[in-house]
Amino acid sequence: MTGSFLSRNPSVPVMLGAILALVFAVTVFSEAMGGGLSTSFVKTLGMTLCLALAALAMDLVWGYAGILSLGNIAFFGLGGYMIGMWLMAARTRDVVTANLAAQPIPPTPSEIDAAVAGQIFGVVGSDSFPLVWAFSGSLAAQLALVVLVPAALAAVFGWLAFRARVTGVYLSILTQAMTLALALWLFQNDSGLRGNNGLSGLQNIPGAEGVPQAEVALWFLWGSAAALALGYLLSAWLVSGKFGAVLRGIRDNESRVRFLGYPVEGYKLAIFTLSAAITGVAGALYYPQAGIVNPAEMMPIASIYLAVWVAIGGRGRLYGAVIGAVAVSLVSSFFTSGRLPDLDLGPVRLVWVDWWLVMLGAGFVAVTLLAPKGLGGLVDLWSRRRGADRHGADLGPDAGALREQEAEA
Amino acid sequence: MTSLLEVSGVSVSFDGFRAINNLSFRIGPAELRAVIGPNGAGKTTFMDIVTGKTRADSGTVRWGEKGLSLTGLSEARIAREGVGRKFQKPTVFEDQSVETNLLMALKNRRGPFAALIWRPKPAEMERMRELAGTIGLSAHLARKAGELSHGQKQWLEIGMLLAQEPKLLLVDEPAAGMTPAEREKTTEILVEAAKTRAVVVVEHDMEFVRRLNCRVTVLHEGSVLAEGSLDHVTSNKDVIDVYLGR
Amino acid sequence: MRRMTRRALGVLALALCAGTAAAGPMQDLLQRNRALIEESSRRTIAPAIEAVATSGLPQAQQVLRAWQDKALAIDAAGRFWIAGEGAPLDPEGELAAPEGDLDRIKPNSGIRALLGTALVSFQLTDPDPARRMAGLDSILRDPEPELLAPLRASMAGETDPAIAARKERLERLLTMRFGEDEAARVAAIEALSGDISVEARGALNPLLATRRVAGPAGETPEGNLAARLVPGADGFGHAAAYAMLVDAGLAPPRPTDAQIRDALAANIEAGRVAGVPVAQLGDPGRRAAAYDALAGQGLVPPRVDEAQVEAALAAHGFHEIYLEPSAAVTDAARRALAAIDTKVTAMKGVDLGLDALSLASIYFLAAIGLAVTFGVMGVINMAHGEFIMMGAYTAYLVQQLVPDRTLSLIAALPAAFVVTFAAGVAMERLVIRHLYHRPLETLLATFGISIALQQLAKIAFGTQARPLTAPDWLGGAWIMNDVVGISHIRIAIFVLALMFLGFFLFLMKRTRLGLETRAVTQNPGMAASAGIDPGRVNMLTFGLGSGIAGIAGVAIGLYAKVTSEMGADYIVQSFMTVVVGGVGNIWGTLAGAAMIGGLQKAIETANPSNTLAAQTYMILVVILFIQFRPRGIVALRGRAAGD
Repeated sequence: MTGSFLSRNPSVPVMLGAILALVFAVTVFSEAMGGGLSTSFVKTLGMTLCLALAALAMDLVWGYAGILSLGNIAFFGLGGYMIGMWLMAARTRDVVTANLAAQPIPPTPSEIDAAVAGQIFGVVGSDSFPLVWAFSGSLAAQLALVVLVPAALAAVFGWLAFRARVTGVYLSILTQAMTLALALWLFQNDSGLRGNNGLSGLQNIPGAEGVPQAEVALWFLWGSAAALALGYLLSAWLVSGKFGAVLRGIRDNESRVRFLGYPVEGYKLAIFTLSAAITGVAGALYYPQAGIVNPAEMMPIASIYLAVWVAIGGRGRLYGAVIGAVAVSLVSSFFTSGRLPDLDLGPVRLVWVDWWLVMLGAGFVAVTLLAPKGLGGLVDLWSRRRGADRHGADLGPDAGALREQEAEA
Repeated sequence: MTSLLEVSGVSVSFDGFRAINNLSFRIGPAELRAVIGPNGAGKTTFMDIVTGKTRADSGTVRWGEKGLSLTGLSEARIAREGVGRKFQKPTVFEDQSVETNLLMALKNRRGPFAALIWRPKPAEMERMRELAGTIGLSAHLARKAGELSHGQKQWLEIGMLLAQEPKLLLVDEPAAGMTPAEREKTTEILVEAAKTRAVVVVEHDMEFVRRLNCRVTVLHEGSVLAEGSLDHVTSNKDVIDVYLGR
Repeated sequence: MRRMTRRALGVLALALCAGTAAAGPMQDLLQRNRALIEESSRRTIAPAIEAVATSGLPQAQQVLRAWQDKALAIDAAGRFWIAGEGAPLDPEGELAAPEGDLDRIKPNSGIRALLGTALVSFQLTDPDPARRMAGLDSILRDPEPELLAPLRASMAGETDPAIAARKERLERLLTMRFGEDEAARVAAIEALSGDISVEARGALNPLLATRRVAGPAGETPEGNLAARLVPGADGFGHAAAYAMLVDAGLAPPRPTDAQIRDALAANIEAGRVAGVPVAQLGDPGRRAAAYDALAGQGLVPPRVDEAQVEAALAAHGFHEIYLEPSAAVTDAARRALAAIDTKVTAMKGVDLGLDALSLASIYFLAAIGLAVTFGVMGVINMAHGEFIMMGAYTAYLVQQLVPDRTLSLIAALPAAFVVTFAAGVAMERLVIRHLYHRPLETLLATFGISIALQQLAKIAFGTQARPLTAPDWLGGAWIMNDVVGISHIRIAIFVLALMFLGFFLFLMKRTRLGLETRAVTQNPGMAASAGIDPGRVNMLTFGLGSGIAGIAGVAIGLYAKVTSEMGADYIVQSFMTVVVGGVGNIWGTLAGAAMIGGLQKAIETANPSNTLAAQTYMILVVILFIQFRPRGIVALRGRAAGD
């Protein structure tokens, strides 16, 4: 808690330097600049940075405050939906206006509205804008909603859950249920967000029709890198001060914090809401690069991935979340790209695209069992940071990272 | 005499078992009190009720001169009102340094936003070092609390309580697992603390209680069996029955 | 000319073959009515049909049917024949040779209907009860006023009590629709009051059919008035009301926006429409002005604005008239339907209760294994759903090996248990054992296993749903009445759930394993000192929980589809069941399953169009419920509950 910001956060300059170096290298070698890196790879990198930001937010709630939130993917998706509404509405309006201009009689504003609505909502059998699209015409409003909607959902849900003192796995299951509820709600056509079709064509940025995708991909890479860097700075500031000390106190011994007079619920709510807002921003940067956002992205299985990244990277350390997200998602896109030749093992044919999930699942179990500190633990080896001598079995990071209390049989 | 804490007619039961039965208790603003009693007498539950961890089924808990009711307030709120509690097992933040532990406990605004913008002031650092001196941990400020010995952790926890500047300190078996020298020091710290505030010590160890040299309340089956000096209560027939068995 | 020749030849042949082609009573009868039959007119045919039908001859029915099937024919000699699929028969039903070509009589649809009616009375008096029943069914399908008389006539001679009751009922249904006198109809309707069968409702509803009429305001139209309609209220919008006026010719049609645009486009002259530049037509006001100008020139029909619509609606009254003229009948029908509706609502409640019960059984089955592993051992097993899936796939494989459905089901239950028990034990030994006291990590590790198992199943069995067919005796349904019914599979699942509850209670309260499990749950250290091996107990308990999931998988597979994702469909609900019910108590799981199942059904009923939204609302309700009972319905209290 004392000392300068940098002395408390030695990883910050390293991380910022790494991000800067990556962005610089990719920009120089990108297709847009005449280099050899394909546009799809640049997009993959940009998306990976967004995932790292989401993982960072996950680490804030899980690694620092001990709340294993399986709802963060919902905030991620909501961020995507919020920006997607503007992208889709604005882009469709441009296209429709161009089409209608070719007709003998110029269209009235209400005719344009109706045509845009028909274009967007035709697939769900509707021809008018639902109420949730009220602000879709304004970029500024939707950008604000990117932060506000996930934060509001987190605030309401968190208030209910924390107030009832739901903790541990109960809280995880409840957040999982929240994610499922949101996904199911979005799946229905009446939700006003195009049901299972989701929002599509998000890679087309309104007003940038003439710009090649190679260049747009670079813009988003820069944007994602900037967001990650800012997010990292913000997170480092949050967790290295007294606020962070209280959070870790809550993680390790909630009732002690309470008996010190700290309003535990308030702290949990603050970090949960903040994490939701950061995740929303990450989602808003991710989905325009992915091109489509639909409710399947928020199904329970997706919610666990965020946790997996953080666990593999090593929770309770900010760089761990970033390393985990980058490593797993890059390896994942390598295996699922279909570029790897199938392996013929006599009776079984190893199709990597299929077997990757099996490997991920098994590998994840292995990390949990054998290396609870994750990849971040490697840094400890290098920096020779050691834990205190324990008087019992290793309790793992969950039961308080450094506890003398003997592990029970 | 005005009392700091006044518990009257409190009862609480778990699944039909009456843990506390019509208990009444009062303590003045600067008083040291020992609470003894056999296992299951309701000592810990009594502390749980005062600190808000357990809700009483009936009865009142009044606090301070204004007679604020503590029943229904949250644990954190009660702590901010000036009730500090030490658990039986040493509970400190083992993953954080001794310094951080103490700074977190220092009396301060407790809200999340206040914590975000908080920077240690020189006076606060000074107070922290002073407390570390009191509990004998000045040399260990940078160490992680998890690395301390059992007794040092107990002291650190007491130090954190003192840093809270509570008006009432509830201490649950502070001497358990301590060496005789450590007990001696713990006694000193508690007696010193009781000069400026109320301290309630729950203890099994009669030797330790004798050294505290204070009024003693004996709990049995959830209510007060006897109260007075140690010699007075140990000569009480009921108390002898309870401790030695019938 | 040629026809004449053939006739002559026929007469000749008749004389020659008098011995072979017998002239029987039916032939005579038909010959007597030949003129009418050959004329084949709806208006005049009745006496001919009547004559055949009432002849009392044994062949009458056969002849009428042949006639109806266009198989009654006349040969060159003018004699009637029945020309069926095989050789032609003479009307007495004997094989004989006709003269020359057969000329089939082709009755029109009106006559065929009359013939059908005549045939019905034969069917209703047929000696075979099945035929009589079939005749009644055909009347019910296609009720006609003409059927009333033969039905009534057949009632007196009916011997079978079941059919007699049915006839009586049908007579009532027909009477109330087609009966000649009002009092009889009202009586028939009132007799049906409270009858919830589909046919009763089907018969009553047409009595209340209405049509809508528009007329000048203040005027009440002729007929049996059902209701006065107010535009803008009760689903009768302004647009619909105005459309009625337009249809009735009481108001001019309203040009739509598209028509206006097309009219403008058709009248562009040198970049202007009625003097307004085309470029300005994007403005609604300018567009209206241009169109009005065109209307003023008489080129297009005038616009009708809101005020005009309002005025037109105000100047007219709208009414709903019953097609049925008798007010007494419609009143009685309304009362009867109201009484039926009340009863149907109550019955629907019963049906909903049964549905909820069966859904609760499924959740209970899915959750009971989880209650063991999560509730008793405190282990979060996210792969629990995949054990359900493994059980279902095991049953599918057994079904591939054993063709007999009943045998394969009997074999599948233990097989599923063994497979998932083994999988559970393996998982406990390899993974979970190392993660006790690290619940969040257990959650994540088992989720990793869940992902891997799901994907393995996808690789092994494909993404297609695999059928798991129930034996025939489980295929039917138990039907109480037209509203309340439940399929046998659901009953079986309910029974299975009850059996598991009993089994579980027995296991926990009466067996050594149960005792040891409870001991290890409460205090592992103490249990170990008492000579219980906690590792073994944990392993067996976990295996047991997994095995139960496998059996649940067989039941769920029979009821739903077997896919690699079926476990994932149940996992969240199962956890909610355990959490809502209260951890560590089988009665809590039961209560949780009842609450979740009941809630889901209730919400689905309140919002029937949208089961996805129903699930959303259910989860929200559960989240709110946790507010009030954070430890579930059956909660452990006090220090035992721990913190």
